[in-house]
Amino acid sequence: MTDRLSVEQQLQAAFPTLVPDPPSGNNMMRYRLDQARLPEIARYLHGQMHGRLALLFAVDGRPIAQTYELHYLFAVGSRQPWVLLTTELAGEHRLFTSITPSIHAAQWYEREIRDLFGLIPQGHPDLRRLIRHEHWPKGTHPLKKDFSWDTVMGRQQGNYRFRHIEGEGVFEVPVGPIHAGIIEPGHFRFSVAGEPIMQLEVRHFWKHRGVEKLFEQQLLTAAVPLAERVSGDTTIGHSLAYCQAVETLLRIDVPRRARYLRSLFLELERLHNHLGDVGAICNDTAYALPHAHCSRIKERLMQLNDRLTGSRFLRGVMCVGGVARDVDTKMLAETVNELNRIETDFSELESIIVANASLTDRLETTGVLTERTAWDHGVIGVVGRASGIDQDVRRDRPFAAYDEIPVNVALYRYGDVRARMRVRMDEIHESIRLIREIRHNIPTGPITGEPSRSPHHGEWALSAVEGWRGEILYVVMTGENGQIHRCKVRDPSFVNWPAIQWAVIGNIIPDFPLINKSFNLSYAGNDL
Amino acid sequence: MTKEQAILQAIALTLAQALVLLAVSPAIVGLIRKVKARFQCRQGARVFQPYADLAKLFRKQPVVSTTTSWIFTATPYILFASTLTAGLLVPAFASQMPLNFAGNIIALVYLFALGTFFLILAGLDAGSPFGGMGSSREAIVASLTEPAMIMSIFAIALTAGSTNLSTIVHKTALLEGIVTDPSPHLMALAALFIVALAETGRVPVDNPATHLELTMIHEAMLLEYSGRYLALIEWASAMKLLVFLSLIANVFAPWGIATTLTPMALSIGLAVYLAKVAGLAVLIGTIECMFAKLRLFRVTDLLGVAFILALLGLLFFYILRG
Repeated sequence: MTDRLSVEQQLQAAFPTLVPDPPSGNNMMRYRLDQARLPEIARYLHGQMHGRLALLFAVDGRPIAQTYELHYLFAVGSRQPWVLLTTELAGEHRLFTSITPSIHAAQWYEREIRDLFGLIPQGHPDLRRLIRHEHWPKGTHPLKKDFSWDTVMGRQQGNYRFRHIEGEGVFEVPVGPIHAGIIEPGHFRFSVAGEPIMQLEVRHFWKHRGVEKLFEQQLLTAAVPLAERVSGDTTIGHSLAYCQAVETLLRIDVPRRARYLRSLFLELERLHNHLGDVGAICNDTAYALPHAHCSRIKERLMQLNDRLTGSRFLRGVMCVGGVARDVDTKMLAETVNELNRIETDFSELESIIVANASLTDRLETTGVLTERTAWDHGVIGVVGRASGIDQDVRRDRPFAAYDEIPVNVALYRYGDVRARMRVRMDEIHESIRLIREIRHNIPTGPITGEPSRSPHHGEWALSAVEGWRGEILYVVMTGENGQIHRCKVRDPSFVNWPAIQWAVIGNIIPDFPLINKSFNLSYAGNDL
Repeated sequence: MTKEQAILQAIALTLAQALVLLAVSPAIVGLIRKVKARFQCRQGARVFQPYADLAKLFRKQPVVSTTTSWIFTATPYILFASTLTAGLLVPAFASQMPLNFAGNIIALVYLFALGTFFLILAGLDAGSPFGGMGSSREAIVASLTEPAMIMSIFAIALTAGSTNLSTIVHKTALLEGIVTDPSPHLMALAALFIVALAETGRVPVDNPATHLELTMIHEAMLLEYSGRYLALIEWASAMKLLVFLSLIANVFAPWGIATTLTPMALSIGLAVYLAKVAGLAVLIGTIECMFAKLRLFRVTDLLGVAFILALLGLLFFYILRG
């Protein structure tokens, strides 16, 4: 299972009648399948070939075709092409077979498809509404093409049934969706016996903005600002993923200098977020000293962002075809100098944090996410790498400049809060190292490329970026006259949120905020 | 001195102590916050900010849930009164408190317990999940601090031959009946210091600066309070902290306290007292910057250590006496 051929051969050997679809590019193998065969092959890919279900999404084919298409994207091994299974629901058919019973990672995707498209996953063990909260009127499925983007919805009454645990001394503790701090809305329902948590149910999707629907109102080349705002703290991650998908569609050859600058901005974004997280984890144990210092360093990084691009959150930097802002040699040198000072500063802080026994006592063995649970949920990114899931898009499917400046992936196996903090600490050093490499190797030249063709209706492209939280996926499909027909956005938060429900079991309630902070998932990126 | 004069003097002294407690306690909270801010490279709010906070809260209209009983509205007054009364039993700047006859160390412990008891009830009263959680945690902490606190002061009481705090402080200040070996005192001091941190909801037992309801102990019980009720509770908490600091300062190092009632001795006593409690506040602020909060169930271990230390202090007293 080391090269492309062998994945294909393996599938061929197990399913002799299976033939890949001709338009398979060199980074993807596509198979068109019947409804009936799909679950079996998906199960084989997941179980026998250790393929991670990376994405599951639906497309409403109207107005060209009266069909819905379901796409199942699997990542099999590193540096392997993606495997995409596609099936079609023709005409009035609204049922499809759920793969959740055998592939747990599909559970939220299938509920999402049900809510947004009205397609029903048969055999799904949990068909409660996920995104479409109970007050949404019956039959509201916003991603169907006959649903206008500016529809004003009515309200209806309805009840969500939480999972109950009954018994003597078992209590339910509802937390949120309104919290005491300045944080996004999310509801957490704990079942506790005393302090230990027996069960947690996460109920999110309180602020559905209809981002995917809004994309469909935009031109391919004009939607970058929207992508930047999918998750406020991941400007570069999302805009880069979007731009890459569009560039594939328009066959734009992004100049090398632009690819280096993209890596630079992506690492800068990772740096300020990771620093904020390390501080916030310490702060949640009431150890406020590192928090203050991390905030100070984070501020320096954001001021650096501001000097480089005119935006503290790196807004307006990406554009289709390259980057909108060049960084001259002098600025690059200044950036590296500032980062060197920051690294010295952070290393000192790091040694204080690691040496603090009372802090270590709080972090170790808290909120353990086992490798098995992580794998079953398809957990990715920082959280995955802390639980032994060796996955990093920068290494596995190099984009931007990462094919020329290889990344050392930080990997820990314990899966506790401390491991998640250590992954972040290691990645801070790694990002600074990468930026030094970028400065050393960056070529001169143009910073934008020109489109060489216009895509025809129905063509689509996939792009993956390792944002600071983890793998961000974008699927962009062309519509008529350069419109977007469908844009599927997958923030890592959507995958990692369900896993937190398992990481907290057996922990005590006062440790939950700490565990949650160590995951630090986006509520906005999750609820599009 | 006539009888009337003596009574007047006693009343004046008691009022003076009450005033000192009321006036100084918010500044102690402000000082701890300032120390923490400086350690975190922040400017921090002024030391006198808590006075402004209290004034603001007293002006605000309190909001009371319709599901609550009389306990909810009575608790702030009970807590405030019991804490102030407890404060009058502990000598602050003068060693002989007129209320000495009224209660000893046991009265002190149970005056605090009375306030805590009502606060626990009030936390449950509104029926919010966080209040109940805070109450149950406070009950665990309170039940474990109580024996440790009594034991640690008993170790000192044995030396002085009295459970009355004024007598203990007065005798220690005049160096009467002091044992040559200070080990019982040191152990009791360590125990009482841990108890003080736990009882007043400081790091590493509780975090007074957090907004995370799920991690709170003391603050979780107060979440439903607002306006003057919250002001009274905050003020009472500040006083409780000051009373504990006075207890530590004066039981273990009473020197400088006014043993006679001359104006000179009283002013020196007041100055020394303020310096001592300010020093302890700085110490607490420093500790809060050095340690993370303990896991909730490790708190019991810490309080167990406090109890054992206090017990060892008692044993040492008998062993050393021969």
